[in-house]
Amino acid sequence: MLGQLIVSGLAVGACYSLLALAMVIIYKTSDVLNFAQGEMAMVSTFVAFTLLESYHVPFQWTAFLTFLFAILLGMFFELVFLRQAKDPTVIGLIIITLGFEMILMGFAGWKWGPDQRSFPFPVSNIETYNFYGLIVSKINFWTILISLVLMFILFLFFRYTKLGIAMRATQQNQLAARVMGIRTKWILSFTWAISSIVGAVAGMLIAALGVLDPNMMMDPLLKGFASGVLGGMTSLPGTAVGGAMLGIIENLFGGYVSLAFKSVVAFVIIVLMLCIKPSGLLAKHYVRKV
Amino acid sequence: MLKRNLVLIGLLTVTVFLIAAPAPAQQVRGVTDTEILIGQTGPQTGPAAAWGAVARGSGLFFKGLNDEGGIHGRKIKYFLRDDGYQPAKTKAIANELVDQIGIFGVVGCVGSGPGMAVRDYYTENKVLMVGFGVSGVTNWIQPFNRYIFPIYPLYVDEAYALTRYFFEQMKITKVAMFYQNDDYGKQGLEGVERYEKEKNLKVVASVSAEVTDRDLSSHALKLKNSGAEAVIMWAMPTHGALLLRECAKIGYKPQWGTSSTLSDATLMMQITQGLWAGMIHSNFGDLPDSNHPLMVKYRAWHQKYEPNERWGTFYYAGIIFAEPLVEGLRRAGRNLTPDTFIKAMETLGGWQGIGMPITFTPTDHQGGKHVFFGQVQPDGSIKRLTDWIKITK
Amino acid sequence: MDIKRSYYEDIELFKSNTILVWSILLFIFLGILPWLVKTYHFLGMSIYIVNLITINALVAIGLNILVGYTGQISMGHAGFFAIGAFTTVIFILNWGFPLWIALPLAGFISSAFGFILGLPALRLKGPYLAIATLGFGMTITTIIKHMEFFGGRMGLQAPKLYLFGTPMKDIHYYYVIMIIAVAMVIGALKLIKTRVGRAFIAIRDSDIAAEAMGVNLTYYKTLSFAVSAFYTGIAGGLYAFTLGFINPESFHLIMSITFLAMVVVGGLGSVMGSIAGAALMTYLDIKLQAIQDIPGIGPALVTFSQNYMSIGGISNIAVIVYGLIMILIVLFEPLGIFGFWIRTKRYWKTWPF
Repeated sequence: MLGQLIVSGLAVGACYSLLALAMVIIYKTSDVLNFAQGEMAMVSTFVAFTLLESYHVPFQWTAFLTFLFAILLGMFFELVFLRQAKDPTVIGLIIITLGFEMILMGFAGWKWGPDQRSFPFPVSNIETYNFYGLIVSKINFWTILISLVLMFILFLFFRYTKLGIAMRATQQNQLAARVMGIRTKWILSFTWAISSIVGAVAGMLIAALGVLDPNMMMDPLLKGFASGVLGGMTSLPGTAVGGAMLGIIENLFGGYVSLAFKSVVAFVIIVLMLCIKPSGLLAKHYVRKV
Repeated sequence: MLKRNLVLIGLLTVTVFLIAAPAPAQQVRGVTDTEILIGQTGPQTGPAAAWGAVARGSGLFFKGLNDEGGIHGRKIKYFLRDDGYQPAKTKAIANELVDQIGIFGVVGCVGSGPGMAVRDYYTENKVLMVGFGVSGVTNWIQPFNRYIFPIYPLYVDEAYALTRYFFEQMKITKVAMFYQNDDYGKQGLEGVERYEKEKNLKVVASVSAEVTDRDLSSHALKLKNSGAEAVIMWAMPTHGALLLRECAKIGYKPQWGTSSTLSDATLMMQITQGLWAGMIHSNFGDLPDSNHPLMVKYRAWHQKYEPNERWGTFYYAGIIFAEPLVEGLRRAGRNLTPDTFIKAMETLGGWQGIGMPITFTPTDHQGGKHVFFGQVQPDGSIKRLTDWIKITK
Repeated sequence: MDIKRSYYEDIELFKSNTILVWSILLFIFLGILPWLVKTYHFLGMSIYIVNLITINALVAIGLNILVGYTGQISMGHAGFFAIGAFTTVIFILNWGFPLWIALPLAGFISSAFGFILGLPALRLKGPYLAIATLGFGMTITTIIKHMEFFGGRMGLQAPKLYLFGTPMKDIHYYYVIMIIAVAMVIGALKLIKTRVGRAFIAIRDSDIAAEAMGVNLTYYKTLSFAVSAFYTGIAGGLYAFTLGFINPESFHLIMSITFLAMVVVGGLGSVMGSIAGAALMTYLDIKLQAIQDIPGIGPALVTFSQNYMSIGGISNIAVIVYGLIMILIVLFEPLGIFGFWIRTKRYWKTWPF
């Protein structure tokens, strides 16, 4: 029982980590909390669903086209809405993302209707692998795998490629980066594109694990956000740790104490952790100079 | 000088308004020589939008009815409003419907939360409520309210009857319960526990989930570890799909049972990818493909007016809730007032449209007291297991 | 006219005779508003909607004190709202307190919780604070849902109140709510001008500098949370009676977000702005679905919907428009509705230059 709980906690946590990853990428470069992340992922997933169901496009091409759509969606949002904001406050930006979230939600509800559907993912969500008595469903296994691979790629990208370093520079001091010759406007668009792709992957995985309907991302987004905060909003490995911890703690609490308070406990624990380490577990706590 | 002028202007404006006050009056609110005004609120957007089909179904019924000539020379003017399942909005819409539009009654109105917010307001304003709430909670009959004519069978009794069916017909004694953590789920639990107590049994496991929970693996594990032969589920379609999947993953295949809320077999089969087969649930209305003459007629209307809508259980549920309203209007005759309508409704005894037999008496307004059980077949259709069973006294 | 010649002038509420006269006219207008609304139905309003707007305005002012004036962030105000609503009803239902005792008590209990939330908030900023407050909001709602004492999942029915023997209807509630609201608005305006208010603003602009100047961060930050919670709690109590029925599920995250939107759209750091923001957002929220009935655009949208989109989903247009309006206001006027007002005033003042 314990092992089972941990494994499924890891799988769910992997989805949270991906969402957290998407949010942290944006936060690292633009200092914006993207609350529209969930809905952006959801719309991308619906696009994938339409391609798969109505046009019968094979999955690899669907994935590619969906990523393309995600890139365009992310860049559209950044270009049309965020860049137009003159001298925005932190909270003003949050409201803009929330407004975009409502637009996307309304659009998805309008275009695809509220009925639930099942997402035809190539990996079955019922068959399982059996590791020494521990049953891991195929979809859980692949979710964890895909998440880890994606995180690893992004980690390497940010640490070792020129573009990655440029992105980190933009986050630390945008003006200085511009002075150094980095085309910050492109960097920002690119950041949103990557974040949107990660979100789309998370969306498809979550839809495969559950059902596809316009509301499917509301809870995972919150948990993803919480994982990001837990791990530290400026640390990419932190998202992996945060997501895993959140998933496992939730499941353990649900399994042994009470299923009713499951979600709430996660938040309480996060608040407690934040009291001890205000910037999350793995992030460096920058003390601002006045 | 300025102050004096301002005061004078103020007085003038007030006088003008006082003189020009309009006030049209009506004989019976919501009834004219040619029209009867009926409204419905429902969640067309938001997390509960899937139940918006009910309101649209009622709309289809009224459209067909109007084309046939209406009732005693009056057509039904239908007002469909979206409340997003938020009681605050429902109350605003109720104000609009009563004060500005002036309706005679409401039909349907999905949701116990939104319904509770407006129940007293409608009662004060003598608005008739037929099929109110579209949920089998007991709030509509306790305390007794002469303006409300609920139709949806009571959850508590449904659960009780289902447990009894499992016990008597299928000889299952070990029953576990999975329920959603709100009044809908808890009333299901109450029904199951009531039956178990009568037989001196206990529910072997009782597992709840929040509406927004998306990971039910620990819930499935708990159910499996309890060793139950049957699991009764009182939840929403999403949880239905998730739970069945989780149990399939860990190789747990009990006999499943659920409420009529999940009786839309086509939808459930689709989102569970076939795992739904074998599910036993109660039904409050005829099956979607039945050959009942009224069903045939309604399906023809559906093809004619709204061919793009899915002919789902909750779409024609809107018709099931509107039928008694229309029958009551018919029986009340040309002289239509709230009182004549109530008297007419109370003459319905076992009256049946495409739903369950409906009876209203001067002391008991719970219209729907019957369900029948059906089992989902591998091809997605429902096989009737029983005839209409009376579940409420 | 805008130059203050003494400290007393700066903190005076009615700065000049003109403002005094307009204020009196405003009060007269508020006094006859219910009658106006009932007879003329302008903009499709009802007294209920006016009540709701006033309540939301109170919450917005409370939240503005925290977010606009002290620079914190809170995504959990629905929690305080719920606390206010449930405690008021419990006091009246179970212990028979009259409204004028139960309401302030509920406000104080709410502010106690605000204080508790303020403590961890001392160390947190930005997204971390947002999550902490969010978690708080959710925890409160879940706890209320699980305690049978609060009616559990069925929610509570607000008891019928009697004013000198007659059962209170919407219009009586209007006067009660309006009187309380006016008092609290004046309170907020005055608060900003006092030492406490200035401490809040100092914390927002630079908390470290404020501390260096002698502003006790701990005291003032928690006080800000407490005052904000007080306003929200009282609004919650009034909400319970306006709606007549409260259940824990309606105090969800979307409600907290809507409150935040009201504050930002109205204008951070401006009491009048919060009232305007609350009015606009509440009105839009309730009335936007009428977009289908607009002659011309309405039917065009319906046909478009039937051909390319899903059938029932047409009401989602309201949601899309709502989000769009939110974004547009924040984009084009970061200072919100209050910013529009300032700009218009300045335009007229400097005309014809």
